[in-house]
Amino acid sequence: MEMISDVYRGFRSLLKGMGVTIRHFFRKPVTVEYPRERAVVSKVQRNAIVLIEKDDIGSHNCIACLQCEKICPSNCISITGSRKDGLAFKRPDTFDLNFALCSECGLCLDVCPTDTLGYSKQYDKAGYSREDFFYDLLDQWKATEETALGTLREIERKKKEEREARRKADAEAKAKAKENDDGDEKA
Amino acid sequence: MATKRTIEMPVESIESMTLNMGPQHPSTHGVLRVVLHLDGEVVERAICHLGYLHRAKEKHAEHKTYHQFIPYTDRMDYLAPMSNNTGYVMAVEKALGLEVTQRCVYLRTLLCELARISGHLLWLGTGALELGAMTVFLWSFTQREKIYDIFEWICGARFTVSYMRVGGMSREDYPEWRRMVREFLDQYMAAHREFETMLNGNEIFLSRVVDVGTINGKDALQLGLTGPALRGSGINYDARKHTPYLAYEEFDWEVAVEDRGDCMARYLVRMKEMEESWKIACQALEALEKTQNERCNIDNPKIIFPPKENVKRSMEDLIHHFLLASEGFKVPPAEVYQAIEGPKGELGFFLVSDGGPKAYRLGVRSPSFINLQGLEKMSIGYTISDVVAIIASLDPVMGEVDR
Repeated sequence: MEMISDVYRGFRSLLKGMGVTIRHFFRKPVTVEYPRERAVVSKVQRNAIVLIEKDDIGSHNCIACLQCEKICPSNCISITGSRKDGLAFKRPDTFDLNFALCSECGLCLDVCPTDTLGYSKQYDKAGYSREDFFYDLLDQWKATEETALGTLREIERKKKEEREARRKADAEAKAKAKENDDGDEKA
Repeated sequence: MATKRTIEMPVESIESMTLNMGPQHPSTHGVLRVVLHLDGEVVERAICHLGYLHRAKEKHAEHKTYHQFIPYTDRMDYLAPMSNNTGYVMAVEKALGLEVTQRCVYLRTLLCELARISGHLLWLGTGALELGAMTVFLWSFTQREKIYDIFEWICGARFTVSYMRVGGMSREDYPEWRRMVREFLDQYMAAHREFETMLNGNEIFLSRVVDVGTINGKDALQLGLTGPALRGSGINYDARKHTPYLAYEEFDWEVAVEDRGDCMARYLVRMKEMEESWKIACQALEALEKTQNERCNIDNPKIIFPPKENVKRSMEDLIHHFLLASEGFKVPPAEVYQAIEGPKGELGFFLVSDGGPKAYRLGVRSPSFINLQGLEKMSIGYTISDVVAIIASLDPVMGEVDR
């Protein structure tokens, strides 16, 4: 008798489960058919870092301050930089990223003072060897580096001129004020 | 129903058999190795061997600045990185004597509860899978995907979030994201009811979990179990209720407690907890919407990175920015312990600071590690197949056990 009741209970619970499962037949699929469809990723998605273009320069604006290299918890960034002629700041000579070590924590973007680090949009990277993940971030900017340096020198020169003009104006204003003061005293 | 069995051996001199379960066993949740001493098929002893995933996280904390250690916390309990982040930054904030903004508190509460739902969904899926139910696994992962999307759209990463910062968040939430959370919460309870209908009355499932792996409240307390493993044995202890932190005091919710102490009780506790988490998340989202015009991060450039616009304009902010990036902030000498209720139990961070920019010592009380102590007590007298159910009901995450 007990066996019959067991079978009955088991059968009922089975039907109950089946009832829920069958309802799922009539729902839309939740999967994305990957190679044919691309998943929608968020705008803020963290990924391998790239140097992004700054409009007024026409190139990246990395000043080789090494802040990202210092804060990186997994030491995956290595930069060398030097001061170029006519510039008051450094430009990177090499900017290497070992993406195999990167944990995509995003601290390097937090610390970048010129906002020139950004995330790559390619989310399905794959490779056959470790060396496939050694990225040279300056690669895409090598062709335009000379023109960018020219633009930077131009900007620098203009800034200097402006600064000097302002200093001159200040000095003149000061001198005038002093003359006036002297005049007041005499009077 | 499974019950404790004693087998009388015909020959007294027969020795018990030793059997290795793991570290590659699919149902040991990663790299747990259990050495089982068997009498026939009945377990006499179950000895856990740990350390296969040891990465010396606590030592790393002594060599990284407080900011740099945040990504490391993600990888402890990798099923609920938001809780780990929260626990760690709260410990540092406690040592600093820092108060975060109300809006930040609500956001953290919401994310912690979403992480709890996500963690429990994985337990539900894999636990049911280990006992032979495939469908629940697929459905629970559908829901988990939605939570991962929510995480991705707020912080940019799906799994290892590194979202919290000391004194605030790495980026603020936005209306579109809140709508996304609302959509998830609106449809979640229907899916939850489906899981319940699939499992609660399922005879096959019941015969695997009812009266299996029983542990009484006294033993559970003595072994130091926390979380669902303790509450399943009738002890009403939840760090969210008994040592309130974040905004849990403001919200209306209950602690899930069951008396039986078996795998079924732990299952019921977790299912109830997911419901309660849903309740808290709904309330936290409302609170977040009410405070949407307030600041999220504290206004202290010595701790948290100042906005980039200010860095370009003001000399003082630039100095703060460079100091933070190259040296990190200093924490005055202090010894603090901050415990939060993670999905697995009480997750505590014990931080000793000697006044420098790096922790002098960081101890982590990881619930999975301590809950594993209960495995032997629970599995003695049950068969090997029950050990699978017991490990599933304890829900250890090996990343957190070994750290």
